[in-house]
Amino acid sequence: MENADVFLGLHDFLERMRQPSASDFVKSIKSFIVSFSNNAPDPERDSAMVQEFLANMEAAFRAHPLWAGCSEEELESAGEGLEKYVMTKLFTRVFASLPDDVKVDDQLSQKMSLIQQFIRPENLDIKPTFQNESSWLLAQKELQKINMYKAPRDKLVCILNCCKVINNLLLNASIASNDSPPGADEFLPVLIYVTIKANPPQLHSNLLYIQRYRRQSRLVSEAAYFFTNILSAESFISNIDAKSLSMEETEFERNMEFARALLSGFSTDSDGLPYHSDQSAGSFAKAEPLESRHKALSSKKESDLSNRSDISEARSTSKDTLYAKEEPEIGKVQSLEDIENKGATMLLKEEDFSKGVFREYPYLYAQVGDLTINDVEELLNNYKQLVFKYVCLSKGLGGATPSLPLSNSQTDLPCDTESVNEEHQGTEAVNKEHQGTEPADSKSQKHTDVMDDSNIVSHVSKENVESKPHKDELVAPH
Amino acid sequence: MGCSSSLPDRSSGRLGGVNGSENNGVPDAKNLRVKLVLLGDSGVGKSCIVLRFVRGQFDPTSKVTIGASFLSQTIALQDSTTVKFEIWDTAGQERYAALAPLYYRGAAVAVIVYDITSPDSFNKAQYWVKELQKHGSPDIVMALVGNKADLHENREVSVQDGIDYAEKNGMFFIETSAKTADNINQLFEEIAKRLPRPSTTSAT
Repeated sequence: MENADVFLGLHDFLERMRQPSASDFVKSIKSFIVSFSNNAPDPERDSAMVQEFLANMEAAFRAHPLWAGCSEEELESAGEGLEKYVMTKLFTRVFASLPDDVKVDDQLSQKMSLIQQFIRPENLDIKPTFQNESSWLLAQKELQKINMYKAPRDKLVCILNCCKVINNLLLNASIASNDSPPGADEFLPVLIYVTIKANPPQLHSNLLYIQRYRRQSRLVSEAAYFFTNILSAESFISNIDAKSLSMEETEFERNMEFARALLSGFSTDSDGLPYHSDQSAGSFAKAEPLESRHKALSSKKESDLSNRSDISEARSTSKDTLYAKEEPEIGKVQSLEDIENKGATMLLKEEDFSKGVFREYPYLYAQVGDLTINDVEELLNNYKQLVFKYVCLSKGLGGATPSLPLSNSQTDLPCDTESVNEEHQGTEAVNKEHQGTEPADSKSQKHTDVMDDSNIVSHVSKENVESKPHKDELVAPH
Repeated sequence: MGCSSSLPDRSSGRLGGVNGSENNGVPDAKNLRVKLVLLGDSGVGKSCIVLRFVRGQFDPTSKVTIGASFLSQTIALQDSTTVKFEIWDTAGQERYAALAPLYYRGAAVAVIVYDITSPDSFNKAQYWVKELQKHGSPDIVMALVGNKADLHENREVSVQDGIDYAEKNGMFFIETSAKTADNINQLFEEIAKRLPRPSTTSAT
């Protein structure tokens, strides 16, 4: 289906367009793009125009001497090249061009940012056998790349890669547990979960764009199936309510309220509890060694639990506290340490947590004597995965120099200057980090090996193409 | 548990590896390409049926397909035509029921599966039949499948109930066992025979 070689498509296409005999093609492509830009946006008509133009051009390629004797693949590739060229040119004109779509994007993103705060795999019927939150991060990353590309196919590939990662993980889990092979009962819930956690930018607009401008004859079969899955994920998410997550109405509302408070930055510690690690307690809490922090957390357990029963009250208390403070602190986002603390508190509250969350970390309760030399590789992998995730998290929070957990330098993380808005930039920073730096790269290689993801379509060649727009302009031959 | 067992069974009608050579060839009267949607409660073995059906070419380590929720398989019929099934699995949990129209839109075939040991799943199957009658394409071919027929000692839905319901609704009915591969090929072959054929003259 979606092959990496198609990527040579644009290159090859532009090469052929430089041939003198292609001058008519060049003219019609250019005039199409110009005429298109003269009209006011009208998605239905625009989509129909593009689809028709691409179809006609492909038919013309087929009949033209330039492609005489070419294989189906080469013609297909020319079609891909044309689609990519045209859509890259029309992108700003047709992508998220209607205020209504932009509004839906915002609402959807807002909803995901709230729900991701409290949703659990169980809420979507993901069986414990198939739960693997740490590895799902990889699938999330694929989705989050969607705005790095302009061509419909490239965006679609982000979605397909995300699905591929999920499927490989499900397959591995089913083999490991001897469970039934994964079908849609397993796949769709994970895709929805991953989508919510990823909160990909402009999801609604991206899906509409693919639907309208990906050449219809190529959005078929497996690609169509997985595209339908992400459409249904979008639909499910936009309709999420208490019932669809098997929650009590009151519990759902409480969670949503709580997430709103968290995101608006009113609550400095996520539980709305009086444990202010770096505001009320200031640098004192940060300088505290980890152990004593944990002790503090455990001793707080009881009071936490009682506070939980009336979160709104707790929240209003913390709001009051906040208002009493200086202005600059209001927009502050949580530091990594806050989040660790929040997580630890939540963990302590979970009954028999050792069976649940730590299931994925088989060595947590191991003694030295239990280990064999064969465990070294897996341990090292686990270690690298942890480090990678931690660095990503720190980066995502805007920390300049993330350091390993348990080292004292973590207290250096700058956390007073951030605002909620920077969160998104943080995510991008993670992506860049992931591609740019050597350790992150080799780490991702590791994942690829482990999970049989080597068939993930690489975007690299494409990025190169996109980074040289001038060279790749269509020039009418003289 | 799991639904895999014994050896892959390759029936004579199977065209192994035909996918590699077809290049999205234009489907014509002799070579149909058919979208088939699977509906039914979670846990009735929808994906097991499909895996059983395509097992001849399904290899869990294969990188050809993204996953088992979408699979395709081509079968050859006696009259030397071929039918390529593109099989769309759907999530059967109640909370996802409202999403089904996105999947069955444009499907030529709907296979509705229940588990013969679960009356609930039989009720759910009837719900899907009604929904498709209301909202599906009018000429959709529907098959009702009672799966897990190997578990006859736990049977809670009688064969007759299945037959009666299917007859009343003009559907093809069969009981299968994905575990023993019983009737799996027959299911798809029967469906293939019931597909409306485009007349040869109108084919392009």
